[in-house]
Amino acid sequence: MIRPLEIAAGLMLATALVLGLVVPPDAVQGDLQRIMYVHVPSAWLAYLSFAATLVAGVAYLKTRRMRWDHIAGASAEVGVLFTGLALVTGSIWGKPVWGVWWTWDARLVLTAVMFFVYLGYLALRRSFDDPETRARRAAVYGIVAVAQIPLVHFSVVWWRGLHQPPTLLRPGDPQIDGPLLAALLAAVFAFTVVYAALVSRRAEIARLEDLLAAPSADETVAGSGVSAPPIVRDTR
Amino acid sequence: MTDWGWVGLAFAVVYGTLIGYVAVLVRRTARLSRNREGR
Repeated sequence: MIRPLEIAAGLMLATALVLGLVVPPDAVQGDLQRIMYVHVPSAWLAYLSFAATLVAGVAYLKTRRMRWDHIAGASAEVGVLFTGLALVTGSIWGKPVWGVWWTWDARLVLTAVMFFVYLGYLALRRSFDDPETRARRAAVYGIVAVAQIPLVHFSVVWWRGLHQPPTLLRPGDPQIDGPLLAALLAAVFAFTVVYAALVSRRAEIARLEDLLAAPSADETVAGSGVSAPPIVRDTR
Repeated sequence: MTDWGWVGLAFAVVYGTLIGYVAVLVRRTARLSRNREGR
């Protein structure tokens, strides 16, 4: 069943799509600049997702509630999706503007490294049968891996390369014209709501998977031949 | 390819991926919910 948050996310995404296609073109790049209305929000969600994975991982270690582990895993999966989209849309923009699909620029390389590191996080989560071991080790991995966010973000400041410096997340006023800024902010907001809807849905799936993987009371008793209490995990 | 062609390609990749991902998540939720009720 489709939830109200998902309907709201879909409507906002549709609005962002229309705005991205109807705002005036950029004075220098022309219509190609419109790719920024999907590239920048995707990159923003990569940051947000992996920061949320860190926060949820720390919350799990403090409370030992599986709910936090489900959110951490869900956020990392959505983050990998959007990091991949940021890389692909950046590549699609790079071909007509830079003349190449890929270049060994610090921002591009570090973003690709971040993508593979969080793919590793997802692989790690799948390598443990016991949910508590999985949650503990994934939380530690998520805490260490988040160091890449400042590396990726400030790479365009620390190293000289082809990728332009930050447009929004920078000291001083944003260096972008009003209508273009409005369309970009609308897209960033819409994508953030989409992120919330996706993480909520994916965390619910993780909770159901853990519930189904845990042996039921009948299986526990029948398997041992003695009366034993059912295994109940805190899946909140 | 024209500028609009590149723009269309980028938007199609992003929106198409999101629609596909949502469809997968909705189907998985429905399947898991059915399995849970069946236990």
